[in-house]
Amino acid sequence: MLNLVPNSFVPLLAELEVGKHFYWEIGGLKIHGQVFLTSWFVIAALVIISVLASRKVERIPTGVQNLMEYALEFIRDLAKNQIGEKEYRPWVPFVGTLFLFIFVSNWSGALIPWKLLHLPSGELAAPTNDINTTVALALLTSLAYFYAGFSKRGLGYFARYIEPTPILLPINILEDFTKPLSLSFRLFGNILADELVVAVLVLLVPLFVPLPVMILGLFTSAIQALIFATLAAAYIGEAMEGHGAEEHE
Amino acid sequence: MNWTLILAEEAGGLFDLDATLPLMAIQFVILAVILNAVLYKPLGNAIDGRNDYVRTSLAEAKERLAQAEKVAQQYEQELADTRRKAQSVVAAAQAEAQTLAAEQVAQAQQEAQAQREQAQKELDQQKAAALSSLEGQVDDLSRQLLDKLLSIAA
Repeated sequence: MLNLVPNSFVPLLAELEVGKHFYWEIGGLKIHGQVFLTSWFVIAALVIISVLASRKVERIPTGVQNLMEYALEFIRDLAKNQIGEKEYRPWVPFVGTLFLFIFVSNWSGALIPWKLLHLPSGELAAPTNDINTTVALALLTSLAYFYAGFSKRGLGYFARYIEPTPILLPINILEDFTKPLSLSFRLFGNILADELVVAVLVLLVPLFVPLPVMILGLFTSAIQALIFATLAAAYIGEAMEGHGAEEHE
Repeated sequence: MNWTLILAEEAGGLFDLDATLPLMAIQFVILAVILNAVLYKPLGNAIDGRNDYVRTSLAEAKERLAQAEKVAQQYEQELADTRRKAQSVVAAAQAEAQTLAAEQVAQAQQEAQAQREQAQKELDQQKAAALSSLEGQVDDLSRQLLDKLLSIAA
């Protein structure tokens, strides 16, 4: 499946393959193999570093534990700010995994020269480079905030749609569709555009010139992960908060 | 190469949604569960435990500080009390000593006065005795003188 010895180096680096996929067939269903290969890499990296961090938990953290505690505190702050002090704890795993998965995916796409591993069709890139991944994450976010709203407020959650006035009902319903749409397309578009810009620049000037854009890409990737996680947490918090007067403290 | 390109263009595209989507969602949920077990729970517990530890240590230290301050205050108060007591004891002793000394001086003066008076009295007695014995001798002598004179004259 993988041809590890590329016969022509430079054209391979500079090749542009957009919208081509490395198809696998499982039970008559087509899936994008390149996305799964890189996502397994990302998942393995996350699990390994987490196991390393929590293997020997100490009161005074060192090394990997320190790093992951920093990450966890960052995620907790994010969730706390968006969801609120009282309710944020059950949502830390979801929001945190969103952030970590997207962040590591984006940076792996920007930092690891996946394109050196040659596939029969398509090319390896960040998992977030594929619309399926971003839509999957966005739909999970939608499910998460619906679940949060229903578990917190029961059927009273529907009252949200006619607040502040019933006139806004269509817009409120529309929001449930625009939220996952904007979430998924923002992430997908940013990552894909970044990789395309880098690829085009590499095609034109192979040396040094793409470097600033690559660094900018790293920054954008981190920001996109942060935005996705923050928005997901904000939607969850909004669904649980309720606009009713009795909920205000 | 040619047929793969065609195939890709037929089936592919940027917005090619297929079974990757649900599988990725399942994969993500599994990742969240795994990370919850190996990252969020243990490290979250570690962070919370550390926060609790710091909080209780701080509270304990504050309590100890308050206790120490109280003890110091008590000590200072006791010190002041003791000092005041010592001063009053010293003053009482001084007053007592003064009165004692004055008494003794007065007694000694009285005694001296009495002794002096006695000595004077004795002196006076002796003087009187001496004077009377002298008078007797004078009488004797004058009588002898008279006898001699008379004998001479006779």
